[in-house]
Amino acid sequence: MGSVPSDGTAESPHSLFKILVAGGFGAGKTTLVGAISEVRPLRTEEPLTSASIAFDDLNGVDRKTSTTVAMDFGRITIGSRLVLYLFGTPGQERFWFMWDELAYGALGAVVLADTRRLSDCFPSVDYFEKRELPFVVAINCFDDAIRYDPEEVRVALDLDPRVPTVLCDARQVGSVKQVLITLVEHVLANRPKGGSDARPAPVTEV
Amino acid sequence: MGADDKWLDRDSGPVVRPYAVTGGRTEPADGEVLDLIAVVVVTHRGGGPDEAGLSPEHRRIMTLCERPVTVADVAADTGLPLGVVRVLLADLTQQGRISVLPQRRADEQPSADLLKEVLHGLRAL
Repeated sequence: MGSVPSDGTAESPHSLFKILVAGGFGAGKTTLVGAISEVRPLRTEEPLTSASIAFDDLNGVDRKTSTTVAMDFGRITIGSRLVLYLFGTPGQERFWFMWDELAYGALGAVVLADTRRLSDCFPSVDYFEKRELPFVVAINCFDDAIRYDPEEVRVALDLDPRVPTVLCDARQVGSVKQVLITLVEHVLANRPKGGSDARPAPVTEV
Repeated sequence: MGADDKWLDRDSGPVVRPYAVTGGRTEPADGEVLDLIAVVVVTHRGGGPDEAGLSPEHRRIMTLCERPVTVADVAADTGLPLGVVRVLLADLTQQGRISVLPQRRADEQPSADLLKEVLHGLRAL
């Protein structure tokens, strides 16, 4: 059951924030969201676009005109009036129809990188750069992966020097917490001054 | 193996097509697409809801919305796809059974103070 935390009065002010967790298949999105919050699947049913038809095997399903996408959905309650909603999003370009919606009004994003398949997170990095949505790159330290310095990863991803790049263990709540803190610090530090700026920002006040 | 065998595994999709519960409608009746973290709540306008004529899915959503809840929470709790939930929520909104709580504009910056509060809260977790 997931009601917005309430002290009994529906009028009490809550601020809700959306944070996206992106990255390639198997980069640890589900693990990360699950480490810090109760995680539940969130299904969407979307029309098949020509872009996705190239990827989906439609043999024998010629009448299928929609596809189901499952996201990982987690919620972190902070104190009595702040709630962070985490959305683990499929990292492939074919799901961009969903990303636009997710990114709208989002506080920022975490791009999970797996150094064994670094190129998997290119589309996510490109997307957030284009949307000008603040993001951090979190390098998930898999036990059997060679450790790279975050600076090496930054160079490999050709990241703006201002984008934080951190090592993390997506299984550890403390580590995931630090990733989120880094993201919020980044958002705070790069907040446009005197802003009628239209960058996507947190969205809901209850 | 006959051609029909192709339909006997999970690839054939859910037994009930997702949009069957909306009567095939894929767009919200009011045309408004609710944000994932838009908050909805029952209104109980006019002294208690008359639930006659509501589908089981509508009723389930009404129950979930007895306390303020986000659209994403409703979808996750019912197991219904997001698009379906939006259609059903729009029905309930149009009937005045639920209301969408006012939102800050999505393109509005969070204040520095609010962000600091988030930081402080995260550190204290």
